[in-house]
Parts: sequence; C-alpha cells; structure tokens
Amino acid sequence: MSKHSALNTFGRSGNPAFTRNFEQVGAIPQLERMTLDGAVNKTAILLCLCFAGAFIGWNSPALTMPALIIGTILSFITIFRSPAKAGSTAPFYAAFQGVALGGITVFAEMQYPGIGIQAIGLTFGILASLLFCYKSGIIKPTENFRLMIFSATMGIALLYLVSFVMSFFGSGIGFIHSNGLFGIGFSLFVVGIAALNLVLDFDFIEEGAEQGLPKHMEWYGAFSLMVTLVWLYIEILRLLMKLRSR
Amino acid sequence: MNTLIFGFLTVISVFIFMKLGKIKASKKQLNRSDRINWTRNKQPDSNEENHNTKIPEEKNKQINDQSEE
Repeated sequence: MSKHSALNTFGRSGNPAFTRNFEQVGAIPQLERMTLDGAVNKTAILLCLCFAGAFIGWNSPALTMPALIIGTILSFITIFRSPAKAGSTAPFYAAFQGVALGGITVFAEMQYPGIGIQAIGLTFGILASLLFCYKSGIIKPTENFRLMIFSATMGIALLYLVSFVMSFFGSGIGFIHSNGLFGIGFSLFVVGIAALNLVLDFDFIEEGAEQGLPKHMEWYGAFSLMVTLVWLYIEILRLLMKLRSR
Repeated sequence: MNTLIFGFLTVISVFIFMKLGKIKASKKQLNRSDRINWTRNKQPDSNEENHNTKIPEEKNKQINDQSEE
C-alpha cells in the first residue's frame, strides 16, 4: 500500500485522457506496438495540421468560434468515446484548434503587435526545456505529482467554468482576467500547471512505449500532448496580453 | 528583431523536441520505485486489495493510539 494517504483515497482519479486506455498488451505483435518515434512523428503531424489550420484562421478570423466549438467536441469524443480511433479524430482536432488559435492570435496581434510569435516561441521553448528536464531525470513525476497537477487542473477548469456561467448574468470573477498583480500571478500559476501537464504527457508516452501499448496509442499520446500545448499557448498569450496592457 | 529571436527559439525548440523525444529517458528517470503507474486504473482488483487492507491498518492504529492514552 502507498505510504501517502491521499493516494489511497484518491488513487483512482486521473486525467481521463491518460488513464482510460491502457489495455492488455501481451498478445500484440512487435510491429503493432507503440514506439517513441511513432508518438513524436505523430505529434509533428498534428503540429503541422495545427499550423495549417492557424493559417486559415489567421486569414478568416470569423471561423474562430465555430472551429473552437468543433475542436472542443472532437477532443471530448477522442477522450471519452473513441480513444482507439484517435488516429482519425486527432488530426481534425488539431486542424480545427489551429483555425481557432489563428483567429485568437489575430485579435491579440491587432492589440499588441508581435505578441503571437512571442507566445509561440515561449510555448515551444517550454516544451523543449521540460522534455529535456524529463528525459534527464531532473523532473521526476510521481503519483503525488500527478495527484497535485490533476487537482490543480480540475480547480482551474472549475474556476473558468464558474466565471463563464457568471458572465451570462453580467458578473464574473474579475481577478482572473485583470492585469493587476493578482491577475498576472494567477496567469503565471496557470501557465505553470499547464506546463507541468506536459511532464505527465511525456511520462504517459514513455511508459506506453515501454509497455508496448497498441499502435493507435501513439495517436492518443500525440493528441494528449496537443491538448496541453493548445492550452499552454492560450495561457501564455493571455499572460503576455496582461503584461503588455500594463 | 522580436520575430527573429522568437522565431529562432521556436525552430530550435521544435528541433530539440524531434530529436530528444525519440531518445529513451535516462535510467535515473525510468528505474524508480515511485514512478506513476498508469495501468493501475485498469486493475480494480489490486486497488480493492489496497482499500481493503487500508481499513484494518487504520483501525489497528487507532486502537493502539487509544490504548496508549
């Protein structure tokens, strides 16, 4: 039994994008097993599709909202309905989210020129540096680490949901959108949590490849990495906008 | 200048991701006893065992605490 009482109580919880899809792997032929190469290559494909979508979104900002809604629906379908078919849903998810991100970036660029490339650079910079930290063992994800990141992520999601619902009644949680010190501190915290979610993604992919999960899990791993990257990019963009508006 | 610096950062980072991502993590990372067990959620039986063994242990501890008092 784990020595951490929280794990004994909440041990079954976890990000559904990571935990639903481990299957019996004994009978899977070597060529049909998940590999690190495959997961990285598929992430690269999804990134290319995202950039292609962003190009469309950049030129047609009116598509932002529909693309965002479709992308969100596709992500829920991939996570909860057909993880095994992530190979067919994840590319569409990446393309639609790309369109949405392109549109969002145009609006940000109109207010603060040059902010888009800064956000992209920082997002990929964080990705590369955290990957290095993970691979070299500087950051070691444990069960407690997962529990902490999962709780924080759910807390942030709940806060955003409450803020979204309150906005319909002409109210809201002001500090999370403000450009004051508290607002910037909150954004920094969210960027930190989003970045640490990348470590969980790396660990999921690493263990999936180690255990020889089915090939389709390469798409699933790439998809979960894309979900985190999209979130991280949006949060970095929000943080930069708050900083530039001061 | 802004575009050049951050564009360069993006290209370098993607390159690092593509190269480093395909390399297996260090032994320091992989050979740990406290690694996240991603398969645990698919093994309810072992979890049940954990939960079952937890209760007597906690009860036992409480009984000991009370007897010490």
